[in-house]
Amino acid sequence: MILDTFSILAISSAVLAILMLGTMYLRANLNFYALHTLAIAMETAWMAQKIHDEHLYWVAFFIALLKVVIIPRYLAWVIRNIDVESDSGSFIPAPVAMLTGIGMLGASYLLSVQLSSLWGDIDSRIGAMAAMSVFFTGVLLMLSRKIAIGQIIGFLVLENGIYLFALTQTHGMPLIIEMGLLLEVLVVVMIFGLVVFRIKKSFEHIDVSRLTNLRE
Amino acid sequence: MAIFEWISFVAVVFILPPLVLGVLCKTKARLQNRIGASIFQPYFDLYKLFSKGETVSEVTSWIFRNAAAINFAVVIVVALLVPWLTFKPAFVGADLILVIYMFALTRFFTVLAALDAGSAFSGFGASREVTMAMLVEPAVIFCFASLACVARTSDLSVIFSCDNFSLSHNNALWLMAGLGLFLSSLVELSRMPVDDPTTHLELTMVHEAMILENSGPNLALVLFTHYLKMCILWGIAAQCFLRSISYFWTVGPLIQGALSLGALFCMGVIVAIIEGTLVKLRWTKLPQFIAFAVAMGLFCVLIAVMRG
Amino acid sequence: MAVSADIFLDLVSIVSLPVILAIFSYVNPIIAFTRKITAAAYWVEALIIGCIFWPILMGQTQGLVINENFRIDRLAVCFLLLTAFVFAAALTHADFLFGQEETDEHGTLKSVRLKTFYLCINLFFLSMCSIFVSNNLGCLWMSIEATTLSSAPLVYFERTKNALEATWKYLIVCSVGIALALLGTVFIFAASQHGHLEQGTLIITDLISQADKLDYPLMRFGFILCLLGYGTKAGIFPLHSWLPDAHSEAPAPASAILSGALLNGALFGIWRITQIIMGSHFHNQIMQILLGMGAITVLAAALFLIRQHGFKRMWAYSSIENVGIMLVAIGLGSAALFFLQAINHSIVKVALFLLSGNIVHAGGSKKLYNLHGILKSCPAWGCLLTLGLFAITGAPPFGTFLSKISILAVLADRGSWILIGILLFATSLAFMSLSVHVGRVLFGGAKTDFQAFKVFQTSVVPIILLCCSVILGLVIFPSYWSFIK
Repeated sequence: MILDTFSILAISSAVLAILMLGTMYLRANLNFYALHTLAIAMETAWMAQKIHDEHLYWVAFFIALLKVVIIPRYLAWVIRNIDVESDSGSFIPAPVAMLTGIGMLGASYLLSVQLSSLWGDIDSRIGAMAAMSVFFTGVLLMLSRKIAIGQIIGFLVLENGIYLFALTQTHGMPLIIEMGLLLEVLVVVMIFGLVVFRIKKSFEHIDVSRLTNLRE
Repeated sequence: MAIFEWISFVAVVFILPPLVLGVLCKTKARLQNRIGASIFQPYFDLYKLFSKGETVSEVTSWIFRNAAAINFAVVIVVALLVPWLTFKPAFVGADLILVIYMFALTRFFTVLAALDAGSAFSGFGASREVTMAMLVEPAVIFCFASLACVARTSDLSVIFSCDNFSLSHNNALWLMAGLGLFLSSLVELSRMPVDDPTTHLELTMVHEAMILENSGPNLALVLFTHYLKMCILWGIAAQCFLRSISYFWTVGPLIQGALSLGALFCMGVIVAIIEGTLVKLRWTKLPQFIAFAVAMGLFCVLIAVMRG
Repeated sequence: MAVSADIFLDLVSIVSLPVILAIFSYVNPIIAFTRKITAAAYWVEALIIGCIFWPILMGQTQGLVINENFRIDRLAVCFLLLTAFVFAAALTHADFLFGQEETDEHGTLKSVRLKTFYLCINLFFLSMCSIFVSNNLGCLWMSIEATTLSSAPLVYFERTKNALEATWKYLIVCSVGIALALLGTVFIFAASQHGHLEQGTLIITDLISQADKLDYPLMRFGFILCLLGYGTKAGIFPLHSWLPDAHSEAPAPASAILSGALLNGALFGIWRITQIIMGSHFHNQIMQILLGMGAITVLAAALFLIRQHGFKRMWAYSSIENVGIMLVAIGLGSAALFFLQAINHSIVKVALFLLSGNIVHAGGSKKLYNLHGILKSCPAWGCLLTLGLFAITGAPPFGTFLSKISILAVLADRGSWILIGILLFATSLAFMSLSVHVGRVLFGGAKTDFQAFKVFQTSVVPIILLCCSVILGLVIFPSYWSFIK
């Protein structure tokens, strides 16, 4: 399999996302997240160069700025302030989650082969595989994390999967939509961060699996 | 030419291992702002141990006395079989399953010898060693097997031979296999995130705990075997990394040999950096670390399968 | 497309009011003034919307195109009016309720909280409006996500642990759900690219007019994902978990707005996607999915209603039941039925939430077993609650009866007797369980003394709303049948 830059970037973003599953240390997770998003930003720039679409350069730039720099820094700041280092993990232990994630990558490959009639060339097929894998990884992250920050990271990865799918399958949505999405993600993360502070203050922990007062 | 290869290889087998360790220790010392011992210090240590007398517990059987020698012999054979350097005299039948089982054989005798002495700490170390070996085995097998699957042979010397062009464009596979083998070598060799080789706290030791009872020439033999094993494992990982660089495939054998020697020392330096920056993992966190090695192995398998 | 000066002025007059209020409410230090002016402003807003869009509402003009991303059609105007009305009613009540809370012993309301409340209410209104006027699936998605973000602080108004838990669940569940809808939107965009269109588009009117040319498998994927995503926001059965929590923990006016406006907004998103599907040949299967999901939601909500402990939770489940019925209306492909059910449900549910807010506040507990004897201690509220109960369960003089019977009639026309059976069974089950729960609250010995509460002020808005419901039931009834057919 001779891979071009496009596929390598797509697959490396998927692999980096899967590696996030393997560690419960929030710092390591954030670093992996930044790298993973950097791969996606570079993929966007590569796509811009390939289809000669200038607006994608801007999207790539803003992804790099917001998701690679600002959001991880903000979350790192939150982590520092509420004084947590690692997730205690839910019913899925980290190693099992990571191996399941790899299984999901294989499953995504099979799925993308099944649907090969939809995405014609090999590039978009590998893109679809990577995007689906990132999406599933996000779901797994949310399932295997117990504390609020872990869940937020899972949500961000899931969001990245959707973005990667949009990028590789549709060669980018209209600019206004992309920008709107980015802004939306930023605001979501900011609000999540604030809520995490509140949870820490009221409950003295941020383990969301223990928030069960309202359950019937 | 064959004679020249033999001489250089045998010389390397006996001279190189302590030197790699010396470089490692020196780098580590410099990282910690110490001058550190000379890079030849491991030779002096081995010489010192060989010239010492030996104390053997009365309750031990022949296994304890002979385990070190058996292991030494096995590892020497493995060193001849495994292509951990490019300038290795040709050997037939370096089957990957055979190699993996020969490593298992050395582990078997080390563990037996540790149990034989009957010390509480040795038993401790033996139990941990076996647990880790069990966890890390899949990673090694996955990495090798996916390489073998792509090369359509299980002979390591064919897989790693530089004229095997079925593997020459598989940079991703080589990179992942290298990472997987490197991570698992840290576990097999009881290096830093898994076990601190410089510790003197018996409760946390793994490999050091097993050889607590050895002394004198026996200990020297054990140590040398360990260094050689270290070189083999890091060497094979370094070979994988080298092959993931397209440039490596285009150069002549002499440069390849020099590169692989250099890569071996690089591995030593990298391990020193890892040991200087990481902390030892708690025993219960170990499966999380080993899972990364297994994950790399699984990535190799996926790449190998998708290719076919 | 250039926006003509006329339309531009109209839009400015609609948008400016909430924007000014949002800034004003955050800057103004006198909360009492903010409360009054906001309530008044929303009645004015409803009036402005009504006046400006009167031609569209009466069907005299086809619709108003603002630019390629925003467009107003008749249904959008209906929903805009309804939303403004719901906001106006709830905020008028909020004025009385917050005034009451400030004076009585519970009065620990901080001005910061109220400032945030009024700021977010205005932002919430703006994002609700942009749902209805979006003509672009991306804008639609962003607006619905914006409603989540702007309404989360409303849920957290009480600043208690439970409120925090509800807020967290609301944010995380809805964000993930909305992310699914985004994936669905991407699929629909891909469907337009892979189909026989000149280029990919997200413009809803273009998609509707060229629905036959879309790539069907991708479109189907996209629809199902959007249904799940927006359905999470609307509280469709397996994805409803946030809804009872958020509705029961939010303050009464906020619950009323969540139930009376937000759910409509999410369903409106589903309606837009359904419109696209309806343009193609393949819509039968999809409509079956909608009908099935609707029926399951109604049934599940009715079953959940049997065992309830929370007073406001109970009404939240009743909202889920009504969402199910609206989904059935969407599945029938009828905008008229959808809006009829939406307006009837919104009006009555707002009245009920406001009333329950009074009772919970006066009774000092949200638990059903702590509340009893309302009829004795405060007859006015007791009577209103009884009327509200009949109204929400679809008893004859009220508008909900009309909307439910219309939906059943259309179903009967199509001969889907199984669905009718399920709906009838579930609604009667809901009626019975609601009656039992409300009966316990109404009868029994009076426990609390409600004398401190200004009964008249706090009953005004529910009375008006219930009157509206009766008017809807009596006035529209004869003329409506011709409208559906």
